[in-house]
Amino acid sequence: MATKSSNVATKPTKPAKKKEVKKETKLGMAVKKDDNFGEWYSEVVVNSEMIEYYDISGCYILRPQAISIWETLQAFFDPEIKKMGIKNAYFPLFVTENVLQKEKDHIEGFAPEVAWVTKSGKSDLEVPIAIRPTSETVMYPYFAKWIRGHRDLPLKLNQWCNVVRWEFSNPTPFIRSREFLWQEGHTAFATKEEADQEVLEILELYRRVYEEYLAIPVIKGKKSELEKFAGGLYTTSVEAFIPHTGRGIQGATSHCLGQNFAKMFQINFEDDKGGKGMVWQNSWAYSTRTIGVMVMVHGDDKGLVLPPKVASVQVVVIPVPYKDADTTAIKAACESTANELNAAGMRADLDTRENYSPGWKYSHWEMKGVPLRIEIGPRDLEKSQARIVRRDNGAKIDVPMAELVEKVQEILMSIQENLFNIAKEKRDACIEVVHTWDEFMAALNNKKLILAPWCDEEEVEKDVKARTKADQGAAKTLCSPFDQPELPSGTVCFASGKPAKKWTYWGRSY
Amino acid sequence: MDSLDEKSNLSLFGLLKEEIPSNVASCPPPPIALSPTFSPRRRLPPLFGVRGKVSTSPSLPEFAGKISTSPSLPEFAVTPRSVDFNAWFQDVIDKAELTDDGPVKGTMIFEPYGYEIWEAIQNYLNVKFKKIRHRNMYLPQLIPIKFIEKEASHIEGFKPELAIVTRGGGKELDEPLAVRPTSETIVSYYFNRWIHSYRDLPLMINQWVNVTRWEKRTKPFLRNLEFLWQENHTAHATFEEAEKKALQMINLYKDFAYEQIALPVITGRKSEQETFAGATCTYTIEAMMGDKRALQSGTSHNLGQKFSRPFKTRFMKKNGDMEHVWQTSSAVSSRLIGGIIMTHGDDTGLMLPPRIAPIQVVIVPIWNKSYEETSLLEAATTVENILTEAGIRVELDKWDQETPGWKFNFWEMKGVPLRLEIGPHDVTNKSVVVSRRNVPGKAGKEFGVSMEASTLVNYVKSRLEEIQDVLLQRAISFRDSNIVDVSSYGELKEAIAQGKWARGPWSASAAEELKVKKETSATLRCFPFEQPEGDKKCFMTGKPAEEVAIFAKSH
Repeated sequence: MATKSSNVATKPTKPAKKKEVKKETKLGMAVKKDDNFGEWYSEVVVNSEMIEYYDISGCYILRPQAISIWETLQAFFDPEIKKMGIKNAYFPLFVTENVLQKEKDHIEGFAPEVAWVTKSGKSDLEVPIAIRPTSETVMYPYFAKWIRGHRDLPLKLNQWCNVVRWEFSNPTPFIRSREFLWQEGHTAFATKEEADQEVLEILELYRRVYEEYLAIPVIKGKKSELEKFAGGLYTTSVEAFIPHTGRGIQGATSHCLGQNFAKMFQINFEDDKGGKGMVWQNSWAYSTRTIGVMVMVHGDDKGLVLPPKVASVQVVVIPVPYKDADTTAIKAACESTANELNAAGMRADLDTRENYSPGWKYSHWEMKGVPLRIEIGPRDLEKSQARIVRRDNGAKIDVPMAELVEKVQEILMSIQENLFNIAKEKRDACIEVVHTWDEFMAALNNKKLILAPWCDEEEVEKDVKARTKADQGAAKTLCSPFDQPELPSGTVCFASGKPAKKWTYWGRSY
Repeated sequence: MDSLDEKSNLSLFGLLKEEIPSNVASCPPPPIALSPTFSPRRRLPPLFGVRGKVSTSPSLPEFAGKISTSPSLPEFAVTPRSVDFNAWFQDVIDKAELTDDGPVKGTMIFEPYGYEIWEAIQNYLNVKFKKIRHRNMYLPQLIPIKFIEKEASHIEGFKPELAIVTRGGGKELDEPLAVRPTSETIVSYYFNRWIHSYRDLPLMINQWVNVTRWEKRTKPFLRNLEFLWQENHTAHATFEEAEKKALQMINLYKDFAYEQIALPVITGRKSEQETFAGATCTYTIEAMMGDKRALQSGTSHNLGQKFSRPFKTRFMKKNGDMEHVWQTSSAVSSRLIGGIIMTHGDDTGLMLPPRIAPIQVVIVPIWNKSYEETSLLEAATTVENILTEAGIRVELDKWDQETPGWKFNFWEMKGVPLRLEIGPHDVTNKSVVVSRRNVPGKAGKEFGVSMEASTLVNYVKSRLEEIQDVLLQRAISFRDSNIVDVSSYGELKEAIAQGKWARGPWSASAAEELKVKKETSATLRCFPFEQPEGDKKCFMTGKPAEEVAIFAKSH
């Protein structure tokens, strides 16, 4: 792995104890994002101290840096759903086989991925017990038990938990892992209208998680029949796009389950007129995958880039003592700066470690994605100013101490916006509208996010999948955006030539 | 209003026809229209029958009529605590909707009301942990058995309870994986990778997770196949620092228990017999439940180098020498909720300390058909808003199907600390009636409390604080009056036979500790930090003893 020297900012500081620094920690990125995206990603998540690899393939240790982002998203989402009258609960990790298999389509989707407890201590269990891959089948027998009359509705529950899916396809930290953290909401209503409405309200919260917090543009839309949740009525999602790999990535899903599960689990209620009704259900989830998408979209050759809103450290203050400088005064200025920022509600940290050079520290905190760095050296002290360096674009600004708090606040906001705008520009530049199969294939090979008129037939999607099958996977529908461009009459499906019914996004995906 | 006040000291079991004030019993559902946003919450009766006895006729209007005519108990009535403690406990968690049995025997579902208590515990502790710079992280749930085997006593202690995954994704796994029973081993693996130098120390982390222990005899909240907890893990440069940390954590738990959940726990050190598998020393907080049994409510372990040696976690000291790190771990779990129930609950049901109560105040409007209900509801809503804005957790029971008397009993069973009653009279007088959960009947009532915002908020806040304190004081005196100082084995036997805790000088062997357990079912709960002065002689052997120990039967 390269040392920091290759990518340190141009500050004239020379690392004082270079040899020792080398011994201390490996710093810097060996792989560039453009050169080998996969390796770059693995390196970023480890070097930025988000992930530690583990003995079991596909299971990862989520370090404080990652969990603090997860907690920030929770701190937004949890109060929002509570405002909607959704309550948190916790259902068990363990499911018996017969419960798991109650809903056939549903279990066909998950059965191949289930992990089974077969022993306790030394003895074999009489029947193996599954670890939840998702909780529909764990929860719904209780919905049936708890819901009796129309006054028990709506029943709206959510849980924050871990799930296990024993997949064998290429594991990737955050994006595809055998265990991950998520929230899963499960709700039941008396009418379809209420269920429909909630699906969209939740989807809007997911959009805000991505766009307002993670600074990632997403497309809201509806999944095709082939891609919808197994056993559900319809699935909506927010879809993100990774320009470097030209792949779409499902950001979060909000499903209307219709009455299918209600039928299987007999979730009935007596309506206000004494008649029998069957509930309408939704389920919805987002997971730690959010963090992976953030790394992929914003990260660069220096490492992680964190949107200020989710950064556990938003500003790091680093003293830059030249030879013979008044280190005590510099340190004091750094301390008071950090304190001031913290007092003003920002999350500032101070790096006064003496065994590392300022240059090493710059690389270190850049690697960890901290949005802003404040450097204070003797000259800054003289002029009563500080140097601010932005992580997102490397811009350096000298700011008078008196205006620092205000300025930092402003710049953090601007970084948050800038990250979103740049991500959106890049994403939009990848969108290509196609009308024919040839155009489609060309765009696919150019790693585009393809918007095409489609006949909305399952067989056609299967056919497209078969025809585009390659080592890197096949193309499929990502979603039909709610925001539909005009579809002139006579427009035909790019793949089948049949009359097109809607515009749909296509691409390879994670 | 007045006629109701007389009668509202009726206990659950006083809800007989003749005792129901006529104006309440005959109170028809008010004709007011509920606001379109009003969404009924799920609550037990009559929405569904008592568990296990599915109600065949959940039709509501009939039920509302029934309460005044049927001498039978409301469906949410619990077995009195004084009659059968265990049945009472099960009834309370069932009927207050704290938990339900999970699909696999021995697992449990945290229903929203139960989970909210856990969230309140989390919210408090999470802030405390962050203040002392423990950082949250998440370690995988599945742990290779070979990790757990690395520390010999650890595997010995946990092996019988391990749930083991051998199949995944349709294939046999190459190596069996344990579902985490606790995370010392995987933490040690992590520490090994991240600790190199003294500069990396102390390393302090925490995680909020589920853990699994395949227990044979389970009991909701107390012993389950799966439960929720937090586990702190720390690594230090010296034994002394680790020891300091272990003590800091047990004291943090003690403060939490006293201040937030009004549990007057006794802090102390476990005997070697009872020390955590893999620790050099275990500290504990022990609480006395309403049945006088002890409940181990939290533990903090000094792990010494017991894990760092097998995991080879070494660091370079300032002088360049290499040394194994010194570790600690500490945890409290959802078991605390069981402790809250069994400490404060009474014959009527749950009684929640205000600081931890999901609902601190319930507002019950007293309908009266001769009165304009809209203005009553408006007044109640105003009061609700005033209290909510002041940060108090309030529930306005607008339900139009049950009588106020029914609601009083229902919310008492759910353990809500304060109830505000608002009747037509009160609306006119711009006042409310306040009832305390912890003082039954009229004695716990205060009339004519002003609705004026600041007066009401101050009143409610100070009442809640007072209740919090009363619950603690009550638990302290209960605890103290049930600990007997013993100076002979005979006295211990007698104290234990009376169901009490025995405290006496102890320096006997592990074999003798086992003998006490066999003969009396009491175990050595701890050597309390608070020790009496003076010379002591072991009550078992008569030999000199350094410390007194507490023995008790436990949950």
